[in-house]
Amino acid sequence: MQTASLAFRNLFRNTRRTVLTVMLIGFSLTALITFDGVMRGMITLMVENITGTLTGEAQIHRVGYRENLDVDFYIDNADEIEERLQQDASLRAYAPRVISGAMISSSYNVSAGMVFGVDAELEQGISQVREAVVSGEYLTGDDSELLIGKPLAELLEVGLGDRIVLTLSEANNGELAQALFRVSGIIEFGLRELDESFTFINIAAARQVLAMTDQQTHEYALSFIAPLNMENPNNALLEELNSGGVEALNWLDLNPDISLILQLSSYSSLLIGAILFLLASLGVINSMFMSIYERIYEFGVIKAIGTRPKDIRKLILFEAFFIALLSCVMGIALGLAIGSYTSTNGISFGGELEFSGIAFNNAILSEFHPIQFTQFPIYVVLLTVIAAIYPAAFAARIIPSDALQRSL
Amino acid sequence: MSVVISTTDVCRFFGDDDETLVKAVDHVSIEIERGEFTAIVGPSGSGKTTLLHLIGGLDNPTSGSVNLSGTNIAAMSGTALSDFRRDHIGFIFQAYNLIPVFSAEENIEYIMLLQGIDAAERKRRVTEILKQVGMEGLADRRPNKLSGGQQQRVAIARAMVSHPEIILADEPTANLDSRTGIALLDLMKELNERHNMTFVFSTHDEKIMKRASRLIHMQDGKIVLDEKK
Repeated sequence: MQTASLAFRNLFRNTRRTVLTVMLIGFSLTALITFDGVMRGMITLMVENITGTLTGEAQIHRVGYRENLDVDFYIDNADEIEERLQQDASLRAYAPRVISGAMISSSYNVSAGMVFGVDAELEQGISQVREAVVSGEYLTGDDSELLIGKPLAELLEVGLGDRIVLTLSEANNGELAQALFRVSGIIEFGLRELDESFTFINIAAARQVLAMTDQQTHEYALSFIAPLNMENPNNALLEELNSGGVEALNWLDLNPDISLILQLSSYSSLLIGAILFLLASLGVINSMFMSIYERIYEFGVIKAIGTRPKDIRKLILFEAFFIALLSCVMGIALGLAIGSYTSTNGISFGGELEFSGIAFNNAILSEFHPIQFTQFPIYVVLLTVIAAIYPAAFAARIIPSDALQRSL
Repeated sequence: MSVVISTTDVCRFFGDDDETLVKAVDHVSIEIERGEFTAIVGPSGSGKTTLLHLIGGLDNPTSGSVNLSGTNIAAMSGTALSDFRRDHIGFIFQAYNLIPVFSAEENIEYIMLLQGIDAAERKRRVTEILKQVGMEGLADRRPNKLSGGQQQRVAIARAMVSHPEIILADEPTANLDSRTGIALLDLMKELNERHNMTFVFSTHDEKIMKRASRLIHMQDGKIVLDEKK
């Protein structure tokens, strides 16, 4: 206890140095807490945008469909699948889709794109198609309705009410089929790929054009009550549905590139933390050595009167421990203050931003997580004490006669 | 009278080759008996402080042996040497060197904590020694609130409170005015006589020399005169 008491009092012998060291470590902890909070918020936003824009948290396809998006690879027992989906208590919403590549033509221009046949009502539980409508109306069920991305509409030089002809290849026989639609709404997701090439029509009309029956569907998009996130990406329903030529995959499996980016993002806190604390550790070593050199005569004296080398080591490590504790108090307090602000007000990009096919239309709201206030401070204490081992070993090895002569 | 300090052909050389070699202590053999009030004297660089450090186990001799109460401390190192110093030797330094964040009382108590002495005994001894060195009423003061003489009194108390056999004092009066120096020397002489502790000083101070029962004169690392009064 005496060693701890001496160590604590020693902190205030050179208050300025102690304060600077505490600030160095404390700000590092604050930076780590803030960075981790922002990264967590960014990942949450990314996941929400990935799963909420169009994909859903999981999708069901016939095995092989995703390879070429071939219209012939449809699920042909839609009733059975939908019955199973309706029974599942973990499911929040689902939406069937019929999807095909198409030649999209207006009176003035033509473009290749994708046509999504969607159930107007069920789709609202999965995607943001309705929210993306910037002019006109969302689908109401009328066979001739068509929603078109704003850039695509501009390319085709069409507006609300104008005619669009879709040329597609029928399922099963590959015969060309054409159908006339009228632009009922202009949509804008904020994602270039979607806005420049996607059109949405009612699923019944899509099936009709593609010569598919009511039992035939290319895709089911799913959303769960407990969202499938990075930590918990799987659901029993998906495993159960993965049979009989059907594959049910979560959003991470559907987007392996994005999955990789998210994994890298989650490691970035670790990397930033390592860099921050490497620098802070060097600061601690420097500060401890300055403190030791300043007191070298005193170390000579206390060693002369019988203090064991291990007690001197303990003294320095206790000093480092108390510095770390003070730093944690400061770092946590500042981290809480900054986190509270950024979790409420968010960090805005000043406009819409698209990164790796993910739209950041909203400000990033940083997120608190228990590890920021438990594990991070523990790391700070451990690293600070570890950084002090070398100075402590140096102090313990001081030869009293050398120390006493050096200062005389 | 029993011998408490004995050095045999003890040497302390610094430097690696003939050109830089400094023979700080050169084949010194002395015997000091219990209760002696000895002063090692000589000009600066004569080796008196180095000899004092060798006797106190603060430095290791290049060759020779240093026996304190029959134990060759030249062969000891690390924790064993620290423990030996703690239990057998008290040190008084020129610059007092009290722990600045501790009060006078805590500075004196510190060595007893190292010895594992219980709180009640520590308290009793601190009260007693503070009285002996004339520091009653100043127990709670930190060193920066004490005069040089008062700090040296606390340093003397710290050196004596663990009841060591030997007190080694390196220029203890060098930073004190003459009057305070005399008062402290009288105090140490009194404690020496009362407790039969062995005092060894390294000094130039005439006042110490006058009170010493034995003067060991050093020059160029060797003893040139050993006079007992």
